[in-house]
Amino acid sequence: MIQLHELQFIIPLITICVASVLVLIVEVFSRNREVVFAVTTLSVFVALIITIRDISYSTIILNNFININNVSSGFNIVVLLSVLLSLLESRSYLIKKQINFGEYYAIILFSLIGMMLMVMANDLLIVFLGLEMMSICFYILAGFMRKRIKSNESALKYFLLGAFMTGFLLYGITLIYGVSGTTNLMVLFSNTLLHQEPLFLIGVGLFLIGFLFKIGAFPFHMWVPDVYDGAPTIVSGFMSTAGKIAAVATIFPIILKLNILDYRIIISVVSVLTMMFGNIIALAQTNIKRLLAYSSIASAGYLLVGLAAFNDMALRGILFYTLAYSFMQLGAFIVVGIIEKSSSDNKDFSNISLDSYKGLAKRNPVLATIFTLFLFSLAGIPPFAGFWGKYYLFVAAIKANLIWLSIVAILLSVIGIYYYLKVIVYMWFTDPETDETYIMSPLGTTAIILSIAGTIFFGLFPEIFFELIRFY
Amino acid sequence: MLEGYIPIFIIIFISAAFAFLNINLSSLLGPNRPNKEKLSTYESGMEPIGTAHDRFSIKYYMVAVSFIVFDIEVVFLYPWAVSFLNFPKPEMIYSFVIGLIFIVVLAVGLIYEYKKGVLKWD
Repeated sequence: MIQLHELQFIIPLITICVASVLVLIVEVFSRNREVVFAVTTLSVFVALIITIRDISYSTIILNNFININNVSSGFNIVVLLSVLLSLLESRSYLIKKQINFGEYYAIILFSLIGMMLMVMANDLLIVFLGLEMMSICFYILAGFMRKRIKSNESALKYFLLGAFMTGFLLYGITLIYGVSGTTNLMVLFSNTLLHQEPLFLIGVGLFLIGFLFKIGAFPFHMWVPDVYDGAPTIVSGFMSTAGKIAAVATIFPIILKLNILDYRIIISVVSVLTMMFGNIIALAQTNIKRLLAYSSIASAGYLLVGLAAFNDMALRGILFYTLAYSFMQLGAFIVVGIIEKSSSDNKDFSNISLDSYKGLAKRNPVLATIFTLFLFSLAGIPPFAGFWGKYYLFVAAIKANLIWLSIVAILLSVIGIYYYLKVIVYMWFTDPETDETYIMSPLGTTAIILSIAGTIFFGLFPEIFFELIRFY
Repeated sequence: MLEGYIPIFIIIFISAAFAFLNINLSSLLGPNRPNKEKLSTYESGMEPIGTAHDRFSIKYYMVAVSFIVFDIEVVFLYPWAVSFLNFPKPEMIYSFVIGLIFIVVLAVGLIYEYKKGVLKWD
C-alpha cells in the first residue's frame, strides 16, 4: 500500500501527469492552442524547478518500484531541460508547418512521463513500462506531418524496428527473471552470485541490446538517419536529445551497478564501431538533418566509451556529456528548423541540404554565428561544453586503463571535426545563392539564448555542475 | 540443469511429428478432386467479394481500439469491485481512490474521443 507522504517525492511526475490530462481536455473543449501551449510549458517548467529543489532526496518508494537519488534526479533535470527547450521552439515551427495541433503537446507530455518513470525506475517492469510509453509517443511524433510521405516513412520504419527490438528487451527481462526470480533492481545489484550465471549474462545482454537500439549505437543504428530525416525537425531534435538521454540515463547506471566486467570488451568494441560509423559516414552527407543524425550516432559512441570504463568517473562524465549534448544538439536542430522552409506544395522539406547554408554569414550573420557555435561545441573544441563532456568521458576511460580506447576515441573525434567544419566553411567562406530571410520567433530566440548560455557557461565553469549535483 | 526438461522436449517432438504426419498422410492418401467452390474462401457460407488487400475505413480501427481499452477496463474493474467490500476501512478508501483515478483517466480519454467525433459512424 502506498503511503501518502511518499507522493511528495514524485511531485514533478504528478505535475506532468495532471498537465497531460488537462491538455487533452483543454484541446477538445476550447481548441485554444495558446492555452494548451502555456499549460504544457508551465508544467514542464514547474517540474524542472521542483526537481532542482529536491535534488538531495534519496529514497526508495512506492512498493520498491521507484528509486530517487542524485543520479536519477540529475538525469531528470537534463531530460526536463531538453524537453523545455524543444517546447519553446515547437510552437513557431508547428505553425510554420501547419501542424499546430494540441495533441502534439499532449504526446510530448505523455512521452515525458515515460522518460521520467524510466529514469527513476527500480524495477525492470517499470523500466519496460516507461520505455514503451516513451517509444509509442515517439512513433506518433515522427509521423506527425501526416500528409508528408517522408514523415510517414520515418514513423513506420521506427515503429516496425522499435517494436521488434522491444522483443529483445522483453526476452532479456524474462531471462533475468527466470534466473533470479525477481525483477527488483536493488536485489539484482546486490546478488553478485547471479552475475556468474550464463543465462543471467545473456539476459542482461539482450536487455542492453534493446537500449542500444534506442540510443542508436552500432549495429542497431540504421533507423537513426532515416527517422531523423523524415520526422519534423523539432521532433528530431527532441528525440535525439530527450529520448536518447532518458535511455542512457536508464541503462548506463544499471550496467555500471551490475559491474559485470565481462561486458567491458563488448561495450568497448561497440563504442569504437559506433564512433567510426557515425563519424565516417557523416563525412559524405549533403543533408544537414542526416549529418546531425550521424553526429548523434557518434555521440552515442562517446557515451559508450564512458560506460566501458566502469568506474565512478564514468557516471559523472556521462551526466555532464548528456547535459552539454542536450544544449548543443537541440540548439543545432532549432537553427535547422528556423532555416527550413516548406516546398511550394507543402509536401516535402526544403532548405535542408548543405547548399542552402551557402553564404549564410552574409545573409544572416547572427544565425550563422549561433550555428557555428553549436557546431564547434559538437566538434569538441574548447571552451564550449562539448569539449568538457568528451574530456570527462575519455578521462574515465584512461583511469580504467583503457588507454587504447581513449586514443581511438580521440582520433575518431578528430575526424568528426572535419564535417562540422565543412558546414562552417559553407556558411562563412562561400557566396550566397539566394537572398532568403529567416524569421526567429521570440520564444525560439529564448530557447536559442538558453542553449548558448548553457553551452558557454558549462564550457567555462564545468565544475559548477558537479557542485550542484553531488555524487556519493 | 536441463534434465528436467527432457519430458517437455519429448512432448514437443511427438506433437510436431504427429501434426506433420497427419497433414501429409491425409493429402497423400485422400482423394484429390478440386473444384471452384471447394477452392474458394470459406466464410460461413457467404460469397466472397474481392480480396482482403483493400483499404478499410479508419472507423473500424477506431472502434477496435476503443473496444480494447474498455474491455481491459472491465477486466481490471471487475476484481476491484468484487474484493472491495472485503477490505478493512482504511484500505477501502485507498482502493476506492486508486480505482477512481483509473476511471477518471479513462473517462478523459472517452470525452476526448467523443468530442473529436470518433464515435460518429456516418
